[in-house]
Amino acid sequence: MREMRTLRVLDRFAGLFERMGVNYTVMRRILQVKLTMDARRVPILSNRSKKNQKDTPDESNQFLRSLWLYVLFGGFSSTLLLAGDNYIFHTSLLFGIMMFMIMTSMISDFSTVLLDIRDRNILATKPVNRRTITMAKTMHIFIYLFFLTGAIAIIPLVVGLAKHGILFFLIFLLELLLMNLLIVVLTALLYLTVLRLFDGEKLKDIINYVQIGLTITITIGYQVLIRLFDITAMDVTFKPAWWQVLLPPIWTGSAFQVLLQPGTATNAFVLLAVLSVVVPLIAFLAYLRLMPALERNLQKLAEPGSHSGSKGGGVVRRMARLICSTPQERAFFRFAWTMLGTERDFKLKVYPTLGFSIIFPFIFLFSGNFELENLGSGGSRMYLLIYFSGMMLPTIIKMLGYSSQYKAAWIYHTAPLENMNPVYKGTLLACLIRLMLPLFILEAIVFTVLFGAGILPELIIVGVALQFYAIISFLIMGKALPFSAPFESMQQSASVRILGLLLLLGVLALLHLAALQIPYGGIIYGVLLIAATWVGWRKAFAVAN
Amino acid sequence: MTKLSGEPVIRLVDLQMSYGSKQVLNGVDLEVYPGQIIGYIGPNGAGKSTTVKIMLGLVEGYRGEVHVFGQDPKEGGVDYKKRIGYVPEIAEMYDTLTACEYLTFIGELYGLTADEAESKARRMLHVFGLEDVFHSRISTFSKGMRQKVLLTSSLLHNPDVLFLDEPLSGLDANSVMVVKEMLALLAEQGKAIFYSSHIMDVVEKISSRIVLLDGGRIMADGSFEELKERSQEGSLEQIFNQMTGFNDHEDIAARLVSIVQEV
Repeated sequence: MREMRTLRVLDRFAGLFERMGVNYTVMRRILQVKLTMDARRVPILSNRSKKNQKDTPDESNQFLRSLWLYVLFGGFSSTLLLAGDNYIFHTSLLFGIMMFMIMTSMISDFSTVLLDIRDRNILATKPVNRRTITMAKTMHIFIYLFFLTGAIAIIPLVVGLAKHGILFFLIFLLELLLMNLLIVVLTALLYLTVLRLFDGEKLKDIINYVQIGLTITITIGYQVLIRLFDITAMDVTFKPAWWQVLLPPIWTGSAFQVLLQPGTATNAFVLLAVLSVVVPLIAFLAYLRLMPALERNLQKLAEPGSHSGSKGGGVVRRMARLICSTPQERAFFRFAWTMLGTERDFKLKVYPTLGFSIIFPFIFLFSGNFELENLGSGGSRMYLLIYFSGMMLPTIIKMLGYSSQYKAAWIYHTAPLENMNPVYKGTLLACLIRLMLPLFILEAIVFTVLFGAGILPELIIVGVALQFYAIISFLIMGKALPFSAPFESMQQSASVRILGLLLLLGVLALLHLAALQIPYGGIIYGVLLIAATWVGWRKAFAVAN
Repeated sequence: MTKLSGEPVIRLVDLQMSYGSKQVLNGVDLEVYPGQIIGYIGPNGAGKSTTVKIMLGLVEGYRGEVHVFGQDPKEGGVDYKKRIGYVPEIAEMYDTLTACEYLTFIGELYGLTADEAESKARRMLHVFGLEDVFHSRISTFSKGMRQKVLLTSSLLHNPDVLFLDEPLSGLDANSVMVVKEMLALLAEQGKAIFYSSHIMDVVEKISSRIVLLDGGRIMADGSFEELKERSQEGSLEQIFNQMTGFNDHEDIAARLVSIVQEV
């Protein structure tokens, strides 16, 4: 275990902690252990690599390495500060963005810290007083929050100092601190409420969705933020309204407005500014009281979830009977269907990818200078951009081979299966219908609205083409048994295969475009594709063995 | 009952506990003396682990008196925990740490110095046959290896009372013999051992006193011989079935098999 710089900084406050009734030596030791574990959080593969694990030299924290993303995000956001001194608008917006980022990361990355139920069995049974344990937990969160906030705020702070002066800088620092307090409290309150009303499984689901949402937001957020300049150029006049009392970022904006432009300070502004100081402090006091209640409710995380119900089981069963040819295939279709919907790690890795699939066609569509009015006027073949909704298929199909419970894959080998065809086929079908189909339908509806109902036959052909593409992708990418390898063993490098498959997708779109240039070309292309897909569904899986 | 020497290390008087509307403990009275190995048995949900958790200060909101080394967990003092060793049923550990790191950490929490803790942990694991993996991460360990680490972690500070919940799970037959013998030796030196398990054969053999809990009440308390006399049954398993009012195991097994044969 290494000596951490963070802890050495903390040592200076040892006296302070001791005065609060905390055993500093023990707290420091707990923190050291916790930080060491965080550095190793990326789980270990399997027993095979046992030798490499002895005193692994690489213990730099994954989290710290990902911070540059937040720096970048803060950098984009800081352009808001350059736009002028309409504080109530610009700083509110900036704090809104930062608070959103910090809060979502807090939920997605630190839930493991807040919700570690092992602490109860391991720490609480030892002769360590409760205040020390609570403080260790609080400091653990604080350390991460410090780095996270630092990363996202560093560029806005520098920009603010240069543009608006030292007073602005100081207010910024103070408000950051207060808002962080509020965020910690809000997160804990969220957890507590969910745990009170529902069970641990529900909470894990909610955390999972926040993680997915965060991943999508970060990626799409860049697109939006770059275009923020247009908004900032607008001159927005601020009208006080009652609902602003509910928005913490506006409290912060008001604080800047009141302190930096006292001339404009109305009663409403002063009230909001006062809220920005008072509410976080009160909330933090309440938090210290609520912490034990949260700890008690955490026990629920360890308990089995209550009846998740057999919702929709009948529908899936009927669907399976409709499209699968053998009973085994049906079984694997339903199995994969459930896995796709319930395995949180899988969802976390795949659902954001689906998000990109939805927006890619539109990014391409709008990155050229298209006038919306011209789209429906016929002649335009831009709707073929819908092919790009299949861009993520190779990645998703690759992911089908991984699971956090990969060890359970022994069932494939012990079950009396003649060959693995039904396994592959059932899984691929479930993946296409559960993940790809809703996405494609959504995309098709939007495109039909944009381009007119005339493109419907072409869209159906695209649907078949994507099926064909999925089969080819499967043949090239995924010969692994579904859900049978740990996520950590996944090769990070975007392989040449994916690149080749992307080219193939482009080729399919171009073929479609070419076919449309000749009479009946679309129909011929469609028939050929249907034939190829039909053969594919029958033969491809036997080849894979 | 076996010899009672000196003051009880644990004293429970009319202990009651409920989760919401569910009454888990219905007035448990118990005194534990040094040198006793208490087989603490009962069906699932009888309240065994709740009792242990209350004594460890993990569960609050109980009624009745609890004294562990004369200290009441409710009062919030933690010194009494220095004299307790605990092996929980679920082998929860910070398993991204190496065995060395984990054990040193736990030892320090109990007030040992890092050097003392490490040296003691190293020697104990050596005797347990785990010297090769002392610096490997616990997450790579087999169930039996984890259990040995857990047992070691509960003994580093030479506690006077041991709470063991299924301490033999995952151990191979040879290790089981070692641990059973070790428990007997520890009891001889005056340690009180609180042994929860579902494996009646083992409880029957190693316990000097058996406490049977059912529905939050103590249904029987005494040595195996005393229990045998009372219930006219030959083995602890049969006594257990009789006292918990369970006698339809044959019927249930037959029903299961008939379902199996349907295919």
